[in-house]
Amino acid sequence: MRCDEVREVLAEHLLGTLPEPEDLEVRGHLRGCAGCRREMAALAEGVSLFSRAAHETAPPEGLKERVLSVLEEEWAQQPAPAGAARKWNWMAAAAAIVVLAGSLGWAAAADRRAVRYEADAANYQNFLGVLGGENVRVGTLSPRGSRDLHGSVVLYDAKAGEQSWALLLVRAPGMEGTADVTLSSSDGRTIRLHELTFEAGGDASTWLVTSSSLKPYDRVAVTAPDGTQIATGTISGERTPTG
Amino acid sequence: MRSRDPGSDAALMRAFSRREPGAAEGLYERYASRIYGLGIVMLGNDATAQDLVQDTFVKLWRSAERYEPSRGKLDTWVLLVARSLAIDALRRRVLDARSLQAIGLPGEVSGEPGPEEVAETADLADRARRAMVSLSDGQRAALELAYFGGKTSAEVAEMEGIPLGTAKTRIRTALLRLREAMEEHREV
Repeated sequence: MRCDEVREVLAEHLLGTLPEPEDLEVRGHLRGCAGCRREMAALAEGVSLFSRAAHETAPPEGLKERVLSVLEEEWAQQPAPAGAARKWNWMAAAAAIVVLAGSLGWAAAADRRAVRYEADAANYQNFLGVLGGENVRVGTLSPRGSRDLHGSVVLYDAKAGEQSWALLLVRAPGMEGTADVTLSSSDGRTIRLHELTFEAGGDASTWLVTSSSLKPYDRVAVTAPDGTQIATGTISGERTPTG
Repeated sequence: MRSRDPGSDAALMRAFSRREPGAAEGLYERYASRIYGLGIVMLGNDATAQDLVQDTFVKLWRSAERYEPSRGKLDTWVLLVARSLAIDALRRRVLDARSLQAIGLPGEVSGEPGPEEVAETADLADRARRAMVSLSDGQRAALELAYFGGKTSAEVAEMEGIPLGTAKTRIRTALLRLREAMEEHREV
């Protein structure tokens, strides 16, 4: 697009009403055109001023406390911030990888000898014993559509009052950008993992450490920024140690 | 013209996404009055306007990491998030078909906060309102349809009975004119 074409639709771009194909072109143009970015900044000032003139109204007393309180609740259910969670990152990732490897081992064992189940069960029990948790559940991602995608999700259910965690690993050759990962329960609750960022080659992983219980969550969905579901999975395979 | 450093927008959102002390409060102080006012104008009553403020802040938190300063001012991003939620609420209301009569401007809703209750303390808001007078009726109508209604220029053109190019020009000119008028009021 040329500058004059972009400037003609910049206001729509700014107001979020420009259809997506054209909006993409405008965003691309803006990345490389300082002049049009200046024009957009001027229009943005106009939007800001309009918002003040048209609908700035003092909110009632008490609303601030209500909103901040809701955010506190939200934070209690969402992944801990990067800084606060740092000490958990390596533990969660390392443990989950161990579990994932173990889970794959279980699956392979199922195809081989029944006797392996006993060893796996013992390993599983030992693993939970070390972590002090209640359960580890695993799910496999199924791609939506014809996309080449493989992945797994592991949930570690801690005892009450301790940190539970989830880890998702995915490989989708050719996939770029970011995606959302959401765990959901049969009664409609959802909880989001950190945003998934695909690296070159289509590998990506994400995680969640939370003091909330993950036990109700038995489904996972990976969703592109435009809302399209990329993959889904059912988290099951609850394993009750048999000794 | 006061202009915020885009870097400060990014820093504020980073702090918010990290739950740093004061960041949520800072965002609330900056935007709550405009989000609440948007709710009053679009949804017509205090309760739904308060819900809009709450829902907007939750959505901002959930998508804080997606904010990219290079793609626009924080003001615009926050307001579009709020507008989108307000439009969703209106759609739900229409679908429910229970509160159709409640859709309207604040002046049409008795017993609810109206323009007379607007805080007059913010100098910037006062000057912005004065700047609005500089818009023609056509410019203001086109901008309101695009801003509050989320209408495309083509839809604005159809609703106003004007050519597409005229609709685009009116929206763009209205925004630039507001900015210029603010400068003039500031210099007076």
